Amino acid sequence: MSTAVANRPMSPEEKKVIFASSLGTVFEWYDFYLYGTLAVIIGNQFFSALDPASRTIFSLLAFAAGFIVRPFGALVFGRLGDMIGRKYTFLVTILIMGLSTFIVGLLPNYSSIGVAAPIILIALRMLQGLALGGEYGGAATYVAEHAPRNKRGAYTSWIQTTATLGLFLSLIVILGVRTTVGEAAFADWGWRIPFLVSILLLGVSVYIRLSMNESPAFTKMKAEGKTSKAPLSESFGQWKNLKIVILALVGLTAGQAVVWYTGQFYALFFLTGALKVDGATANILVACSLVIATPFFVIFGALSDKIGRKPIIMAGCLLAILTYFPVFSALTKAANPDLAAAQAKNQVVVTADPKECSFQFNPTGTSKFTSSCDIAKQVLSASSVSYDNVVGAPGTPATIKIGQAAIPSYSAAGLSADDLKKKDAEFKKAVADDLKAAGYPAKADPAKMDKVMIVIILTYLVILVTMVYGPIAAMLVEMFPTRIRYTSMSLPYHIGNGWFGGLLPATALAIVAQTGNMYNGLWYPIVIAAVTLVVGTLFIKETKDVDIYAND
Amino acid sequence: MWKIVIGFLVFAAVALFVLSKGGDIDMSGEKHGVEAGPAAASPAGSASVPAPAK
Repeated sequence: MSTAVANRPMSPEEKKVIFASSLGTVFEWYDFYLYGTLAVIIGNQFFSALDPASRTIFSLLAFAAGFIVRPFGALVFGRLGDMIGRKYTFLVTILIMGLSTFIVGLLPNYSSIGVAAPIILIALRMLQGLALGGEYGGAATYVAEHAPRNKRGAYTSWIQTTATLGLFLSLIVILGVRTTVGEAAFADWGWRIPFLVSILLLGVSVYIRLSMNESPAFTKMKAEGKTSKAPLSESFGQWKNLKIVILALVGLTAGQAVVWYTGQFYALFFLTGALKVDGATANILVACSLVIATPFFVIFGALSDKIGRKPIIMAGCLLAILTYFPVFSALTKAANPDLAAAQAKNQVVVTADPKECSFQFNPTGTSKFTSSCDIAKQVLSASSVSYDNVVGAPGTPATIKIGQAAIPSYSAAGLSADDLKKKDAEFKKAVADDLKAAGYPAKADPAKMDKVMIVIILTYLVILVTMVYGPIAAMLVEMFPTRIRYTSMSLPYHIGNGWFGGLLPATALAIVAQTGNMYNGLWYPIVIAAVTLVVGTLFIKETKDVDIYAND
Repeated sequence: MWKIVIGFLVFAAVALFVLSKGGDIDMSGEKHGVEAGPAAASPAGSASVPAPAK
């Protein structure tokens, strides 16, 4: 490529390509946050009247929409994208996603049409999951195939900024509507408006995407009759390519996913759940850090065109491995110094029969942990108490020792709802009283909070996210040939982010409850990032100079 | 480029403004709605999980 081409500014056509592709992923994120933010209201509208067994089934189905349907969507739409073209495939994905979101806004609730309401809602979630599986790979492939060779990192990095834009858009729409119509009306019918608004986004996206041209690489390949007839078997049935798919998953997307989830979601959960910072303050602090760090997606994307994708992604993983523990410890001192002091001063001991203690891994939210050990650990974890585990006599109920006296826990098995409520209240009060006496704060004190330091720490965590996430779309695109690119890159992305990233909160929570240390949940992202660092460093080749048309 | 920077800053400022006015809101990522309801509030129920799959 000549220097003139290399250094020319972005053409209007290229800007349009990036804008059209990014708008779809903004949509993806908008939808992602709508469901997260409105979960309680949706639950009340569609699921709260169901019996417990039905709720369990719906929980599993909803879980499947995220964990199984999205990778399946990557296969379905990846295959279509490699066979009939990028443009039409990701036009279909955005149509499915947008219409599904819009229909949720119109869907009658449980009190109107009974069990059909949650069934249709889950079906719509499945459709969205399917479409989501095809959306990102299409957007990344489409942009990369339009980008000059030495600017693929910079161009595709714009897609990565859409996570923040989607979040902010959802906040503006949801909070704008809620403030306008009032809390009660919002819970009753106002929640539908953000879903209905998605039709506007859809209209704009479809209009722009219809006016776009097919990717030049795919057009050329199609004209020459070289498109794949069976992308799935070519991608995953031939070891030569399957090996690269596995490497992309283990050596790139798994680590990227855990660093991303830790920086953007676990940090927020840690602030509110572990450090007891009130939700509104924590949200603002996280939003500030996102505003500051989001430009780094483009900075690292562009930098990856110069120094390579691999060094930046691997450096992000390495920094995460080395700094998560000290950084989260510093976050505790900045956000809740009283808690840090109480943890340092007191020794809390849980004495329990090991047979009573479960590994409380509950990603679907359907398991119940009812033994005295599990209940004791849940209560301590919820209070951010670090504790030691001591083996108790077989058959005896677990106890918690904070000061001098041991507080006996209880088993919830066989108790009536009223007895359970009473026992629970008594036990929690006893623990709370002893914790208070030991100096554990019930909430973070706003007067003692170092908000500037919290924002600096959160910004650092999000900058690590931008290091691993900014260059990754370009790298994934460059790892596979045009004929199977859409299929091959979509699957590791969705398995990496859906499985390794999606399981982070549940796994971290279970590790914390199991080990009794609120920082130990960080071992999960650290171990996964370490595996990615080793595999990626040893086995994945730098791709920035790859000619993505070489094997077409 | 400067138009994008200004656009982003304005957009972010509006989001931060509504966030500062709008009070508490769940920003912890995707949930499915099923977990939010009376059954999930059982004292011996599962530990709550902030942000599942994307």
